[in-house]
Amino acid sequence: MKIYVCVKSVPDSAATIRIVGRNQFDEHITFIINPYDEHAIEEAMRLRATNEKAEVIAVCVGRAEAAGSLQSALAMGADRGIHVTTDDAVDSFITALALKAAILADGQPDIIFTGKQSIDAEGFQTMFRLGAVLGVPVATNVTAFALQDGIATVDCEMEAGGRAVFRMPLPCIIAAGKALNNPRYPTLPDIMKARKKPIQTLALASLDLPTPSAGMEVIGLRPAVEDRRRHIIAGTGEQAVAELIRLLREEARVL
Amino acid sequence: MNKQYDAIIIGAGVIGCPIAYELAKMGYKTLNIDKLAGAGAGSTAASCAIVRAHYSTEDGVAMAYEGFKYWLDWENYLGNVKDEKGLAKYMNTGSLLIKSQGHDWRKVKKNYDAVGVKYEEWSVEKIKEMIPVYELDEHWPVKRPEDPAFFDPPTKTLEGGIFCPEGGYVNDPELSSHNIQRAAEAHGAEFLFNAEVVEIHSQEGRVVGVTLKDGTRIDAPVIVNAAGPHSFKINQMLPAVWEGCNIKTKALRHEVMHCPSPEGYDYFNEGYHTSDGDIGCYYRPEVGNMFLVGSEDPECDPQVWPDPDDFYAGKGGPGENNQLTESQWKAQCYRLALRVPTLRVPNQPRGVVDLYDCSDDWIPIYDKSDVKGFYLAIGTSGNQYKNAPVVGIMMAELIDACEKGLDHDAQPYQFTLPHLGRTFDTGFFSRKREINYDSSFSVNG
Repeated sequence: MKIYVCVKSVPDSAATIRIVGRNQFDEHITFIINPYDEHAIEEAMRLRATNEKAEVIAVCVGRAEAAGSLQSALAMGADRGIHVTTDDAVDSFITALALKAAILADGQPDIIFTGKQSIDAEGFQTMFRLGAVLGVPVATNVTAFALQDGIATVDCEMEAGGRAVFRMPLPCIIAAGKALNNPRYPTLPDIMKARKKPIQTLALASLDLPTPSAGMEVIGLRPAVEDRRRHIIAGTGEQAVAELIRLLREEARVL
Repeated sequence: MNKQYDAIIIGAGVIGCPIAYELAKMGYKTLNIDKLAGAGAGSTAASCAIVRAHYSTEDGVAMAYEGFKYWLDWENYLGNVKDEKGLAKYMNTGSLLIKSQGHDWRKVKKNYDAVGVKYEEWSVEKIKEMIPVYELDEHWPVKRPEDPAFFDPPTKTLEGGIFCPEGGYVNDPELSSHNIQRAAEAHGAEFLFNAEVVEIHSQEGRVVGVTLKDGTRIDAPVIVNAAGPHSFKINQMLPAVWEGCNIKTKALRHEVMHCPSPEGYDYFNEGYHTSDGDIGCYYRPEVGNMFLVGSEDPECDPQVWPDPDDFYAGKGGPGENNQLTESQWKAQCYRLALRVPTLRVPNQPRGVVDLYDCSDDWIPIYDKSDVKGFYLAIGTSGNQYKNAPVVGIMMAELIDACEKGLDHDAQPYQFTLPHLGRTFDTGFFSRKREINYDSSFSVNG
């Protein structure tokens, strides 16, 4: 069984982003593996634990420095990595085509895990485009996953606390949500072992990708304006709690 | 007419607050001025707030051990004052000094005996029994993961450790400063926040007051520099003070990291503060069952001395600004993982970056200055949090004695530690001293 996990290298969410020019930012910051992709790897590892012959291959499209994120995936337990290198900022059309080419050049995927989004671009597109070019079904924001007799059953968290259950034949793409699992953190021996695991490097230009049907370009980056409003809740403790719950439900809509 | 006080203390961190508390108890009308919004909100808030007794000098050990008595009896120290934010809590975990080539532990033991510090010697077996996740292989000299030798398998085992049962850490250093603020206010002390001193005035060789950024002038015949990482900038406002210091201070950038405890091990409730010179790190439990790990400043770790205003404004590139660096994250977490091989190392760095107010020999300056009425409680070098209540008493007594005519430079004030009853020469902390080569030249002091 071949389990592929797509991982992206993204800026550390704690980093201060400084915009440079029209549509770039200063990349002298720490990059990390996309946190949602950690859930994807964790689920892949759990699946591998049920199948002795399974192999987990982490695939990444990005600059040479993105190899650090592949190393993180290997330290978490992936068996090997494939790194499609490019210095260009690539959109989700090209990324999907590159992932498809890299995966099919390597083998026939039984299942592909991804994160439900990247924390930098937040395009929510790549897994669907990958599903489209591979012609396989995709479920996103997956919070529960089970595989039996070649059928994946998944729970997907929907808007406003709803839940959808899908059954999908393999191969399929599972885009992991946060509630799917608790990713394991590697230990130093895991990190040391990962340094010896193979990473195959493929230049994007060498993949001979077809011309994408469309493209997207970031034409401008602007800093987000944080609009934090202070709200003082008056009244007794009991009244204040009731008001706080009302605000969280009706205004913040987090409950 | 300008507002008048008996003493102005610049800074309301964990050093400035107890000085105000003790001066106020002596009857001084004090005002702490801090550019931030609350007590302990600056570098104090980022302190690991470790309370340990091992220092490289006997007086250093005595002062730290005296400090234990206040943390162990916090409510009484504060005069049972009420703080609406609650009280900081002393987490009396015990403190383990690993016997290694990275610490002169024989000297520490000698100092412990001289001062009367309670301790036990733990064998490797005893440490393993008490802390099963530690592996006690020797990794000396301290290295960084970039060094290929970092991953070399160890060939020797350590000798054990020295355990001090009264050690530990304070769970909320910022809150502890606020507690002292409230205790000082109960004796009439005043605090002014969001106010920055931009000028210090002197007349005929004596300080007379300060001007704030908004133009307000406040007068006092005594001014104390307790400005933490900004201490050198405050000293530079009075050229005679700056030039009169043989030992200088400057701000040193420092990162501390959070790593989750190994699966199945309750480090938060069962672990000990540990000082581990063999890997150049100290570590202690943190909320969330985390290891909080800092560097003990081994030679291989870079030292960066930023301008504190630029640093807090987030200026400068990686390694100079107030964000964690990947290389130091790896250095500290991987080194800790040599001791705790089952430690979990997250892919995303987590921790705190702040500044030490570091002196040339990593020993503080608690002293008068070359301008009358201007006093120094600076150069805490990341190792004085635990001493803060003692520093408050010592500085207040020193200031009072000097104001009453003591020639402290010629005949240094002899300070008696209230609990230990031991007297020592405060000239040890003089600004005029030559560099003290007995120092560890690290956070260990």
